[in-house]
Amino acid sequence: MDSRGGKVQRRLSDLKPGEGGKIVRITGPPSLRRRLLDMGLVKGAYIEVVRKAPLGDPMEFLVKGYNLSLRKEECDNVYVST
Amino acid sequence: MSRIREVLGEDPEIVLAERRYDWISKVLPKVMRGARPITLSDLLDKALLDKYLGIPIFLALWWALFRFTFDVSAPFSDLIDMFFSRLGEAVEPALGGGVLSSLIADGLLGGLGSVLVFIPPIFFLFFGLSILEDSGYLARAAFVVDKILYKLGLHGRSFIPMLLGFGCNIPGVMACRTIDREEDRLLTIIVNPLMSCSARLPVYVLISSAVLGGYAAAGIYSMYIMGIGLAIAMALLFRRVIPYFRGRRSAFIMELPLYTVPTLRSTILHMWERGVLFLKKAGTVIFIGVLVVWALSSFPWGAGLEESYIGMLGRALEPLFRPLGFDWRGAVALFFGFIAKEIVVGTFGVIFGAGGEASEEEIADVIRSENIFTPLTGYAFMAFTLIYIPCVATVGVIYRETNSWKWTLFTVLYELLLAYFTAFLIVSVGHLLGFS
Repeated sequence: MDSRGGKVQRRLSDLKPGEGGKIVRITGPPSLRRRLLDMGLVKGAYIEVVRKAPLGDPMEFLVKGYNLSLRKEECDNVYVST
Repeated sequence: MSRIREVLGEDPEIVLAERRYDWISKVLPKVMRGARPITLSDLLDKALLDKYLGIPIFLALWWALFRFTFDVSAPFSDLIDMFFSRLGEAVEPALGGGVLSSLIADGLLGGLGSVLVFIPPIFFLFFGLSILEDSGYLARAAFVVDKILYKLGLHGRSFIPMLLGFGCNIPGVMACRTIDREEDRLLTIIVNPLMSCSARLPVYVLISSAVLGGYAAAGIYSMYIMGIGLAIAMALLFRRVIPYFRGRRSAFIMELPLYTVPTLRSTILHMWERGVLFLKKAGTVIFIGVLVVWALSSFPWGAGLEESYIGMLGRALEPLFRPLGFDWRGAVALFFGFIAKEIVVGTFGVIFGAGGEASEEEIADVIRSENIFTPLTGYAFMAFTLIYIPCVATVGVIYRETNSWKWTLFTVLYELLLAYFTAFLIVSVGHLLGFS
Protein backbone atom coordinates (compact mmCIF):
# COMPACT_ATOMS: atom_id res chain seq x y z
CA MET A 1 0.00 0.00 0.00
CA ASP A 2 1.37 3.39 -0.84
CA SER A 3 -0.29 6.72 -0.75
CA ARG A 4 0.00 9.56 -3.20
CA GLY A 5 -1.67 12.90 -3.05
CA GLY A 6 -3.59 11.89 0.05
CA LYS A 7 -5.47 9.06 -1.65
CA VAL A 8 -4.86 5.41 -0.74
CA GLN A 9 -3.64 3.29 -3.61
CA ARG A 10 -3.91 -0.46 -3.53
CA ARG A 11 -2.87 -3.19 -5.90
CA LEU A 12 -5.81 -4.81 -7.59
CA SER A 13 -4.50 -8.17 -6.41
CA ASP A 14 -4.83 -7.09 -2.77
CA LEU A 15 -8.57 -6.45 -2.98
CA LYS A 16 -11.05 -8.95 -1.57
CA PRO A 17 -14.20 -10.16 -3.33
CA GLY A 18 -16.82 -7.44 -3.18
CA GLU A 19 -14.26 -4.63 -2.96
CA GLY A 20 -13.62 -2.29 -5.85
CA GLY A 21 -12.00 0.96 -6.82
CA LYS A 22 -11.09 3.40 -9.54
CA ILE A 23 -8.06 2.51 -11.63
CA VAL A 24 -5.26 4.99 -10.96
CA ARG A 25 -2.36 3.61 -12.93
CA ILE A 26 -1.14 0.50 -14.67
CA THR A 27 2.53 -0.52 -14.63
CA GLY A 28 4.38 -3.36 -16.32
CA PRO A 29 5.62 -3.98 -19.86
CA PRO A 30 3.86 -2.03 -22.64
CA SER A 31 2.46 -5.21 -24.24
CA LEU A 32 0.64 -6.12 -21.04
CA ARG A 33 -0.56 -2.55 -20.50
CA ARG A 34 -1.88 -2.39 -24.02
CA ARG A 35 -3.80 -5.65 -23.64
CA LEU A 36 -5.28 -4.51 -20.35
CA LEU A 37 -6.29 -1.20 -21.94
CA ASP A 38 -7.89 -3.07 -24.81
CA MET A 39 -10.02 -4.89 -22.27
CA GLY A 40 -11.24 -1.58 -20.87
CA LEU A 41 -8.87 -1.17 -17.93
CA VAL A 42 -8.31 2.56 -18.40
CA LYS A 43 -7.57 5.23 -15.83
CA GLY A 44 -10.69 6.19 -13.98
CA ALA A 45 -12.61 3.02 -14.79
CA TYR A 46 -14.35 1.37 -11.85
CA ILE A 47 -13.35 -2.25 -11.26
CA GLU A 48 -14.68 -4.67 -8.69
CA VAL A 49 -13.50 -8.08 -7.52
CA VAL A 50 -16.22 -10.68 -8.08
CA ARG A 51 -14.44 -13.74 -6.80
CA LYS A 52 -11.24 -15.68 -6.71
CA ALA A 53 -10.91 -18.99 -8.57
CA PRO A 54 -11.37 -22.04 -6.31
CA LEU A 55 -7.59 -22.35 -5.98
CA GLY A 56 -7.15 -18.65 -5.17
CA ASP A 57 -5.79 -17.59 -8.56
CA PRO A 58 -6.80 -16.21 -11.10
CA MET A 59 -9.34 -13.60 -10.00
CA GLU A 60 -12.57 -12.52 -11.61
CA PHE A 61 -13.51 -8.85 -11.97
CA LEU A 62 -16.48 -6.83 -13.04
CA VAL A 63 -15.40 -3.95 -15.23
CA LYS A 64 -17.42 -1.88 -17.70
CA GLY A 65 -20.32 -4.27 -17.35
CA TYR A 66 -18.59 -7.51 -18.22
CA ASN A 67 -16.65 -10.20 -16.39
CA LEU A 68 -12.91 -10.42 -16.84
CA SER A 69 -10.41 -12.83 -15.38
CA LEU A 70 -6.78 -11.99 -14.66
CA ARG A 71 -3.96 -13.79 -12.90
CA LYS A 72 -2.71 -12.20 -9.69
CA GLU A 73 0.60 -11.66 -11.44
CA GLU A 74 -1.17 -9.42 -13.94
CA CYS A 75 -3.28 -7.50 -11.48
CA ASP A 76 -0.19 -6.75 -9.43
CA ASN A 77 0.39 -4.13 -12.10
CA VAL A 78 -2.95 -2.41 -11.65
CA TYR A 79 -3.36 0.18 -8.90
CA VAL A 80 -6.73 1.38 -7.75
CA SER A 81 -7.88 4.02 -5.29
CA THR A 82 -10.54 2.84 -2.92
CA MET B 1 7.34 7.94 -32.99
CA SER B 2 9.74 8.85 -30.16
CA ARG B 3 8.74 12.50 -30.60
CA ILE B 4 5.08 11.65 -30.17
CA ARG B 5 6.03 9.78 -27.05
CA GLU B 6 7.89 12.83 -25.74
CA VAL B 7 5.01 15.17 -26.32
CA LEU B 8 2.42 12.87 -24.82
CA GLY B 9 4.65 11.47 -22.10
CA GLU B 10 3.10 8.05 -22.84
CA ASP B 11 2.98 5.35 -25.48
CA PRO B 12 0.72 6.67 -28.27
CA GLU B 13 -1.35 3.49 -28.32
CA ILE B 14 -2.06 3.80 -24.65
CA VAL B 15 -3.14 7.40 -25.05
CA LEU B 16 -5.36 6.36 -27.94
CA ALA B 17 -7.03 3.68 -25.89
CA GLU B 18 -7.63 6.07 -23.04
CA ARG B 19 -9.17 8.71 -25.29
CA ARG B 20 -11.34 6.07 -26.95
CA TYR B 21 -12.75 4.87 -23.64
CA ASP B 22 -13.06 8.45 -22.48
CA TRP B 23 -15.32 9.16 -25.42
CA ILE B 24 -17.30 5.95 -24.93
CA SER B 25 -17.93 6.71 -21.29
CA LYS B 26 -19.25 10.17 -22.23
CA VAL B 27 -21.58 8.88 -24.92
CA LEU B 28 -22.77 5.73 -23.22
CA PRO B 29 -24.95 7.31 -20.49
CA LYS B 30 -26.81 9.30 -23.16
CA VAL B 31 -27.83 6.24 -25.18
CA MET B 32 -28.18 3.51 -22.56
CA ARG B 33 -30.05 3.45 -19.30
CA GLY B 34 -30.20 1.20 -16.30
CA ALA B 35 -27.59 -0.57 -14.23
CA ARG B 36 -26.43 -4.09 -14.89
CA PRO B 37 -29.01 -6.41 -13.34
CA ILE B 38 -28.13 -9.66 -11.63
CA THR B 39 -28.44 -12.24 -14.34
CA LEU B 40 -28.88 -15.98 -14.54
CA SER B 41 -25.21 -16.07 -15.51
CA ASP B 42 -24.23 -14.63 -12.13
CA LEU B 43 -26.29 -17.24 -10.36
CA LEU B 44 -24.79 -20.06 -12.42
CA ASP B 45 -21.30 -18.78 -11.70
CA LYS B 46 -22.05 -18.77 -7.99
CA ALA B 47 -22.38 -22.54 -8.19
CA LEU B 48 -19.99 -23.42 -11.03
CA LEU B 49 -17.12 -21.29 -9.73
CA ASP B 50 -17.82 -21.90 -6.05
CA LYS B 51 -14.79 -22.25 -3.82
CA TYR B 52 -15.72 -25.81 -2.88
CA LEU B 53 -18.06 -26.94 -5.66
CA GLY B 54 -16.08 -25.44 -8.53
CA ILE B 55 -13.50 -28.19 -8.85
CA PRO B 56 -15.85 -31.18 -8.37
CA ILE B 57 -18.21 -29.74 -11.00
CA PHE B 58 -15.29 -29.16 -13.34
CA LEU B 59 -14.10 -32.75 -12.91
CA ALA B 60 -17.61 -34.14 -13.42
CA LEU B 61 -18.10 -32.17 -16.63
CA TRP B 62 -14.84 -33.26 -18.22
CA TRP B 63 -15.55 -36.83 -17.24
CA ALA B 64 -18.90 -36.54 -19.00
CA LEU B 65 -17.20 -35.15 -22.12
CA PHE B 66 -14.63 -37.93 -22.00
CA ARG B 67 -17.25 -40.65 -21.77
CA PHE B 68 -19.34 -38.99 -24.45
CA THR B 69 -16.39 -38.77 -26.85
CA PHE B 70 -15.13 -42.30 -26.44
CA ASP B 71 -17.90 -44.52 -25.10
CA VAL B 72 -20.85 -43.18 -27.03
CA SER B 73 -18.89 -43.13 -30.26
CA ALA B 74 -17.33 -46.59 -29.81
CA PRO B 75 -20.18 -48.62 -31.38
CA PHE B 76 -20.02 -46.43 -34.49
CA SER B 77 -16.27 -46.94 -34.77
CA ASP B 78 -16.72 -50.68 -34.29
CA LEU B 79 -19.28 -50.72 -37.08
CA ILE B 80 -16.93 -48.94 -39.47
CA ASP B 81 -14.07 -51.22 -38.47
CA MET B 82 -16.21 -54.32 -38.98
CA PHE B 83 -17.48 -53.07 -42.32
CA PHE B 84 -13.98 -52.58 -43.70
CA SER B 85 -12.52 -55.84 -42.42
CA ARG B 86 -15.53 -57.77 -43.81
CA LEU B 87 -15.21 -55.94 -47.10
CA GLY B 88 -11.51 -56.79 -47.21
CA GLU B 89 -12.20 -60.44 -46.49
CA ALA B 90 -14.86 -60.57 -49.16
CA VAL B 91 -12.84 -58.72 -51.76
CA GLU B 92 -9.51 -60.52 -51.43
CA PRO B 93 -10.57 -64.01 -52.59
CA ALA B 94 -12.80 -62.50 -55.27
CA LEU B 95 -9.77 -60.79 -56.76
CA GLY B 96 -7.71 -63.98 -56.84
CA GLY B 97 -5.42 -63.40 -53.86
CA GLY B 98 -2.48 -61.86 -55.74
CA VAL B 99 -0.49 -58.70 -55.14
CA LEU B 100 -3.28 -56.53 -56.50
CA SER B 101 -5.95 -58.06 -54.29
CA SER B 102 -3.74 -57.67 -51.23
CA LEU B 103 -3.06 -54.07 -52.19
CA ILE B 104 -6.78 -53.40 -52.46
CA ALA B 105 -7.91 -55.44 -49.44
CA ASP B 106 -5.13 -54.82 -46.92
CA GLY B 107 -3.59 -51.64 -48.27
CA LEU B 108 -6.34 -49.44 -49.69
CA LEU B 109 -9.37 -50.70 -47.76
CA GLY B 110 -7.32 -51.13 -44.59
CA GLY B 111 -5.96 -47.62 -44.98
CA LEU B 112 -9.37 -46.13 -45.63
CA GLY B 113 -10.79 -48.01 -42.66
CA SER B 114 -8.10 -46.75 -40.32
CA VAL B 115 -8.90 -43.16 -41.30
CA LEU B 116 -12.65 -43.57 -41.04
CA VAL B 117 -12.69 -45.24 -37.59
CA PHE B 118 -11.52 -41.94 -36.16
CA ILE B 119 -14.53 -40.07 -37.48
CA PRO B 120 -17.02 -40.98 -34.74
CA PRO B 121 -14.85 -39.98 -31.75
CA ILE B 122 -13.72 -36.82 -33.50
CA PHE B 123 -17.19 -35.69 -34.46
CA PHE B 124 -18.51 -36.54 -31.00
CA LEU B 125 -15.65 -34.67 -29.37
CA PHE B 126 -16.21 -31.58 -31.45
CA PHE B 127 -19.92 -31.75 -30.77
CA GLY B 128 -19.30 -31.86 -27.01
CA LEU B 129 -16.57 -29.22 -27.11
CA SER B 130 -18.73 -26.88 -29.18
CA ILE B 131 -21.49 -27.12 -26.58
CA LEU B 132 -19.07 -26.35 -23.75
CA GLU B 133 -17.49 -23.53 -25.73
CA ASP B 134 -20.70 -21.93 -27.01
CA SER B 135 -22.34 -22.14 -23.61
CA GLY B 136 -19.48 -20.14 -22.09
CA TYR B 137 -18.23 -22.85 -19.74
CA LEU B 138 -14.90 -23.48 -21.47
CA ALA B 139 -13.57 -20.10 -20.35
CA ARG B 140 -14.66 -20.92 -16.78
CA ALA B 141 -12.94 -24.30 -16.92
CA ALA B 142 -9.67 -22.58 -17.76
CA PHE B 143 -10.33 -20.13 -14.91
CA VAL B 144 -10.76 -22.99 -12.44
CA VAL B 145 -7.58 -24.94 -13.24
CA ASP B 146 -5.22 -22.26 -14.51
CA LYS B 147 -3.25 -22.10 -11.27
CA ILE B 148 -2.11 -25.73 -11.38
CA LEU B 149 -1.33 -25.81 -15.08
CA TYR B 150 0.51 -22.49 -15.00
CA LYS B 151 2.87 -23.96 -12.43
CA LEU B 152 3.45 -26.92 -14.74
CA GLY B 153 4.49 -24.69 -17.62
CA LEU B 154 1.16 -24.90 -19.42
CA HIS B 155 -2.02 -22.82 -19.53
CA GLY B 156 -5.49 -23.20 -17.97
CA ARG B 157 -6.82 -24.16 -21.34
CA SER B 158 -4.32 -27.01 -21.72
CA PHE B 159 -6.29 -29.17 -19.32
CA ILE B 160 -9.01 -30.47 -21.60
CA PRO B 161 -6.64 -31.46 -24.44
CA MET B 162 -4.39 -33.33 -22.01
CA LEU B 163 -7.34 -35.16 -20.58
CA LEU B 164 -8.76 -36.14 -23.94
CA GLY B 165 -5.35 -37.57 -24.74
CA PHE B 166 -6.14 -40.46 -22.42
CA GLY B 167 -8.81 -41.54 -24.86
CA CYS B 168 -7.02 -40.72 -28.08
CA ASN B 169 -4.28 -38.21 -28.81
CA ILE B 170 -5.94 -37.07 -32.03
CA PRO B 171 -8.89 -35.28 -30.44
CA GLY B 172 -6.45 -34.23 -27.71
CA VAL B 173 -4.18 -32.48 -30.17
CA MET B 174 -7.14 -30.98 -32.03
CA ALA B 175 -8.71 -29.65 -28.84
CA CYS B 176 -5.58 -27.51 -28.35
CA ARG B 177 -7.26 -25.04 -30.68
CA THR B 178 -9.07 -23.61 -27.70
CA ILE B 179 -5.71 -22.25 -26.46
CA ASP B 180 -5.29 -18.87 -28.09
CA ARG B 181 -1.65 -18.12 -27.38
CA GLU B 182 0.52 -19.83 -29.99
CA GLU B 183 3.42 -20.84 -27.69
CA ASP B 184 1.08 -22.43 -25.16
CA ARG B 185 -0.87 -24.21 -27.86
CA LEU B 186 2.25 -25.66 -29.47
CA LEU B 187 3.71 -26.82 -26.17
CA THR B 188 0.45 -28.53 -25.24
CA ILE B 189 0.37 -30.25 -28.63
CA ILE B 190 3.90 -31.65 -28.45
CA VAL B 191 3.53 -33.13 -24.97
CA ASN B 192 0.03 -34.46 -25.61
CA PRO B 193 1.11 -37.83 -27.10
CA LEU B 194 2.67 -38.70 -23.73
CA MET B 195 -0.83 -39.07 -22.31
CA SER B 196 -1.44 -42.78 -22.55
CA CYS B 197 -4.19 -43.23 -25.15
CA SER B 198 -6.60 -46.16 -25.13
CA ALA B 199 -4.81 -47.89 -28.02
CA ARG B 200 -1.80 -48.52 -25.79
CA LEU B 201 -3.82 -50.37 -23.20
CA PRO B 202 -4.04 -53.70 -25.12
CA VAL B 203 -0.23 -53.73 -25.34
CA TYR B 204 0.14 -53.16 -21.58
CA VAL B 205 -2.45 -55.84 -20.88
CA LEU B 206 -0.72 -58.38 -23.10
CA ILE B 207 2.83 -57.85 -21.86
CA SER B 208 1.99 -57.39 -18.20
CA SER B 209 -0.25 -60.46 -18.09
CA ALA B 210 2.52 -62.44 -19.79
CA VAL B 211 5.44 -61.48 -17.57
CA LEU B 212 4.44 -59.34 -14.60
CA GLY B 213 2.28 -61.94 -12.82
CA GLY B 214 0.70 -60.52 -9.68
CA TYR B 215 2.02 -57.05 -10.45
CA ALA B 216 0.20 -56.79 -13.79
CA ALA B 217 -2.41 -54.23 -12.66
CA ALA B 218 0.18 -52.12 -10.85
CA GLY B 219 2.37 -52.25 -13.95
CA ILE B 220 -0.46 -51.00 -16.17
CA TYR B 221 -1.43 -48.28 -13.73
CA SER B 222 2.17 -47.10 -13.48
CA MET B 223 2.20 -46.50 -17.25
CA TYR B 224 -0.48 -43.83 -16.91
CA ILE B 225 1.37 -42.18 -14.05
CA MET B 226 4.61 -42.34 -16.01
CA GLY B 227 2.91 -40.66 -18.99
CA ILE B 228 1.58 -37.80 -16.88
CA GLY B 229 4.92 -37.39 -15.10
CA LEU B 230 6.84 -37.28 -18.37
CA ALA B 231 4.39 -34.82 -19.94
CA ILE B 232 4.88 -32.47 -17.00
CA ALA B 233 8.66 -32.94 -17.01
CA MET B 234 8.88 -32.31 -20.77
CA ALA B 235 6.65 -29.22 -20.58
CA LEU B 236 8.85 -27.77 -17.86
CA LEU B 237 12.01 -28.75 -19.72
CA PHE B 238 10.95 -27.31 -23.09
CA ARG B 239 9.79 -24.14 -21.38
CA ARG B 240 13.33 -23.75 -20.06
CA VAL B 241 15.57 -24.86 -22.91
CA ILE B 242 13.73 -24.03 -26.15
CA PRO B 243 14.08 -20.33 -26.93
CA TYR B 244 10.66 -20.22 -28.61
CA PHE B 245 8.92 -21.18 -25.37
CA ARG B 246 11.16 -19.21 -23.07
CA GLY B 247 10.74 -15.70 -21.77
CA ARG B 248 7.58 -14.01 -20.66
CA ARG B 249 4.67 -16.34 -20.17
CA SER B 250 1.43 -15.53 -21.85
CA ALA B 251 -0.99 -13.56 -19.73
CA PHE B 252 -4.35 -14.82 -18.63
CA ILE B 253 -6.50 -11.93 -19.76
CA MET B 254 -9.80 -13.51 -20.63
CA GLU B 255 -13.39 -12.49 -20.73
CA LEU B 256 -15.83 -14.73 -18.92
CA PRO B 257 -18.77 -14.37 -21.28
CA LEU B 258 -22.41 -14.61 -20.22
CA TYR B 259 -23.76 -18.13 -20.39
CA THR B 260 -25.91 -18.84 -23.41
CA VAL B 261 -27.80 -21.87 -24.58
CA PRO B 262 -25.88 -23.12 -27.60
CA THR B 263 -27.94 -23.54 -30.73
CA LEU B 264 -27.98 -26.91 -32.40
CA ARG B 265 -27.22 -25.26 -35.72
CA SER B 266 -23.99 -23.59 -34.63
CA THR B 267 -22.89 -26.65 -32.68
CA ILE B 268 -23.32 -28.92 -35.67
CA LEU B 269 -21.69 -26.36 -37.92
CA HIS B 270 -18.64 -26.21 -35.64
CA MET B 271 -18.46 -29.98 -35.45
CA TRP B 272 -18.74 -30.34 -39.21
CA GLU B 273 -16.11 -27.72 -40.06
CA ARG B 274 -13.51 -29.19 -37.73
CA GLY B 275 -14.31 -32.80 -38.53
CA VAL B 276 -14.00 -32.29 -42.28
CA LEU B 277 -10.69 -30.49 -41.83
CA PHE B 278 -9.37 -33.52 -39.97
CA LEU B 279 -10.48 -35.80 -42.78
CA LYS B 280 -8.87 -33.70 -45.48
CA LYS B 281 -5.50 -33.03 -43.94
CA ALA B 282 -4.77 -35.78 -41.44
CA GLY B 283 -6.60 -38.40 -43.49
CA THR B 284 -4.13 -38.13 -46.34
CA VAL B 285 -1.11 -38.63 -44.09
CA ILE B 286 -2.68 -41.59 -42.31
CA PHE B 287 -3.67 -43.21 -45.57
CA ILE B 288 -0.18 -42.92 -47.06
CA GLY B 289 1.40 -44.22 -43.84
CA VAL B 290 -0.75 -47.33 -43.88
CA LEU B 291 0.10 -48.00 -47.52
CA VAL B 292 3.84 -47.71 -46.86
CA VAL B 293 3.70 -50.19 -43.99
CA TRP B 294 1.59 -52.55 -46.11
CA ALA B 295 4.22 -52.45 -48.86
CA LEU B 296 7.11 -53.01 -46.45
CA SER B 297 5.43 -56.03 -44.88
CA SER B 298 4.20 -57.60 -48.15
CA PHE B 299 7.38 -57.48 -50.24
CA PRO B 300 9.30 -59.38 -51.44
CA TRP B 301 6.00 -60.94 -52.46
CA GLY B 302 5.28 -64.37 -50.98
CA ALA B 303 7.88 -64.14 -48.23
CA GLY B 304 6.88 -64.53 -44.59
CA LEU B 305 6.98 -61.56 -42.28
CA GLU B 306 10.47 -62.51 -41.16
CA GLU B 307 11.84 -62.33 -44.72
CA SER B 308 9.83 -59.27 -45.72
CA TYR B 309 11.42 -55.83 -45.86
CA ILE B 310 10.02 -55.12 -42.47
CA GLY B 311 11.55 -58.32 -41.10
CA MET B 312 14.89 -57.28 -42.57
CA LEU B 313 14.43 -53.88 -40.99
CA GLY B 314 13.70 -55.55 -37.66
CA ARG B 315 16.91 -57.54 -37.91
CA ALA B 316 18.85 -54.48 -38.94
CA LEU B 317 17.44 -52.59 -35.96
CA GLU B 318 18.01 -55.47 -33.55
CA PRO B 319 21.50 -54.34 -32.41
CA LEU B 320 19.98 -50.98 -31.50
CA PHE B 321 17.34 -52.64 -29.33
CA ARG B 322 19.72 -55.19 -27.77
CA PRO B 323 20.68 -52.94 -24.84
CA LEU B 324 16.97 -52.74 -24.01
CA GLY B 325 16.58 -56.51 -24.18
CA PHE B 326 14.23 -56.56 -27.24
CA ASP B 327 14.92 -58.90 -30.16
CA TRP B 328 13.93 -58.43 -33.82
CA ARG B 329 10.35 -59.43 -33.06
CA GLY B 330 10.01 -56.63 -30.54
CA ALA B 331 11.55 -54.24 -33.07
CA VAL B 332 9.09 -55.32 -35.79
CA ALA B 333 6.11 -55.06 -33.44
CA LEU B 334 7.16 -51.54 -32.46
CA PHE B 335 7.60 -50.64 -36.10
CA PHE B 336 4.05 -51.71 -36.87
CA GLY B 337 2.86 -49.89 -33.80
CA PHE B 338 3.48 -46.75 -35.79
CA ILE B 339 0.21 -47.37 -37.67
CA ALA B 340 -1.72 -47.66 -34.43
CA LYS B 341 -0.25 -48.77 -31.16
CA GLU B 342 -2.69 -51.62 -30.63
CA ILE B 343 -1.23 -53.23 -33.78
CA VAL B 344 1.79 -54.18 -31.66
CA VAL B 345 -0.40 -56.93 -30.22
CA GLY B 346 -1.60 -58.06 -33.67
CA THR B 347 1.98 -58.14 -34.93
CA PHE B 348 3.06 -60.52 -32.19
CA GLY B 349 0.00 -62.54 -33.18
CA VAL B 350 1.15 -62.79 -36.79
CA ILE B 351 4.76 -63.56 -35.85
CA PHE B 352 3.89 -66.32 -33.37
CA GLY B 353 0.88 -67.81 -35.11
CA ALA B 354 2.46 -69.72 -37.99
CA GLY B 355 -0.05 -69.07 -40.76
CA GLY B 356 -3.03 -67.80 -38.80
CA GLU B 357 -3.15 -65.22 -36.08
CA ALA B 358 -2.49 -66.39 -32.53
CA SER B 359 -4.94 -65.51 -29.76
CA GLU B 360 -3.87 -63.25 -26.93
CA GLU B 361 -3.42 -66.11 -24.47
CA GLU B 362 -1.29 -67.97 -27.00
CA ILE B 363 0.83 -64.87 -27.54
CA ALA B 364 1.32 -64.48 -23.79
CA ASP B 365 2.31 -68.16 -23.56
CA VAL B 366 4.88 -67.81 -26.31
CA ILE B 367 6.30 -64.65 -24.75
CA ARG B 368 6.80 -66.59 -21.51
CA SER B 369 7.99 -69.90 -22.95
CA GLU B 370 10.36 -68.45 -25.53
CA ASN B 371 11.62 -65.92 -23.02
CA ILE B 372 10.98 -63.03 -25.38
CA PHE B 373 10.59 -60.73 -22.41
CA THR B 374 11.68 -61.04 -18.82
CA PRO B 375 9.61 -59.08 -16.29
CA LEU B 376 12.21 -56.33 -16.52
CA THR B 377 12.49 -56.09 -20.31
CA GLY B 378 8.72 -56.55 -20.61
CA TYR B 379 8.19 -53.55 -18.38
CA ALA B 380 10.76 -51.61 -20.40
CA PHE B 381 8.88 -52.60 -23.57
CA MET B 382 5.64 -51.27 -22.09
CA ALA B 383 7.34 -47.98 -21.25
CA PHE B 384 8.79 -47.83 -24.76
CA THR B 385 5.33 -48.40 -26.22
CA LEU B 386 3.94 -45.61 -24.06
CA ILE B 387 6.51 -43.04 -25.08
CA TYR B 388 7.87 -43.68 -28.57
CA ILE B 389 6.59 -41.93 -31.69
CA PRO B 390 2.87 -41.28 -31.71
CA CYS B 391 0.89 -43.31 -34.21
CA VAL B 392 0.79 -42.18 -37.82
CA ALA B 393 -2.65 -40.64 -37.31
CA THR B 394 -1.42 -38.49 -34.44
CA VAL B 395 1.64 -37.47 -36.45
CA GLY B 396 -0.73 -36.45 -39.25
CA VAL B 397 -2.82 -34.37 -36.88
CA ILE B 398 0.22 -32.77 -35.26
CA TYR B 399 1.37 -31.71 -38.72
CA ARG B 400 -2.10 -30.46 -39.57
CA GLU B 401 -2.42 -28.47 -36.34
CA THR B 402 1.11 -27.02 -36.22
CA ASN B 403 1.36 -26.66 -39.97
CA SER B 404 5.07 -27.27 -39.53
CA TRP B 405 7.19 -30.27 -40.41
CA LYS B 406 9.81 -28.92 -38.06
CA TRP B 407 7.64 -29.26 -34.95
CA THR B 408 6.15 -32.54 -36.18
CA LEU B 409 9.64 -34.00 -36.63
CA PHE B 410 10.70 -32.56 -33.32
CA THR B 411 7.85 -34.37 -31.57
CA VAL B 412 8.69 -37.67 -33.25
CA LEU B 413 12.40 -37.38 -32.46
CA TYR B 414 12.17 -36.27 -28.85
CA GLU B 415 9.69 -39.04 -28.13
CA LEU B 416 11.90 -41.68 -29.74
CA LEU B 417 14.90 -40.53 -27.74
CA LEU B 418 12.87 -40.25 -24.55
CA ALA B 419 11.45 -43.75 -25.06
CA TYR B 420 14.88 -45.22 -25.65
CA PHE B 421 16.38 -43.40 -22.70
CA THR B 422 13.54 -44.38 -20.35
CA ALA B 423 13.56 -48.05 -21.38
CA PHE B 424 17.32 -48.12 -21.03
CA LEU B 425 17.11 -46.54 -17.61
CA ILE B 426 14.52 -49.09 -16.49
CA VAL B 427 16.64 -52.01 -17.67
CA SER B 428 19.88 -50.61 -16.22
CA VAL B 429 18.45 -49.72 -12.84
CA GLY B 430 16.65 -53.07 -12.78
CA HIS B 431 19.94 -54.91 -13.41
CA LEU B 432 21.61 -52.94 -10.65
CA LEU B 433 18.83 -53.94 -8.28
CA GLY B 434 19.35 -57.56 -9.19
CA PHE B 435 16.37 -58.14 -11.56
CA SER B 436 17.02 -60.06 -14.74
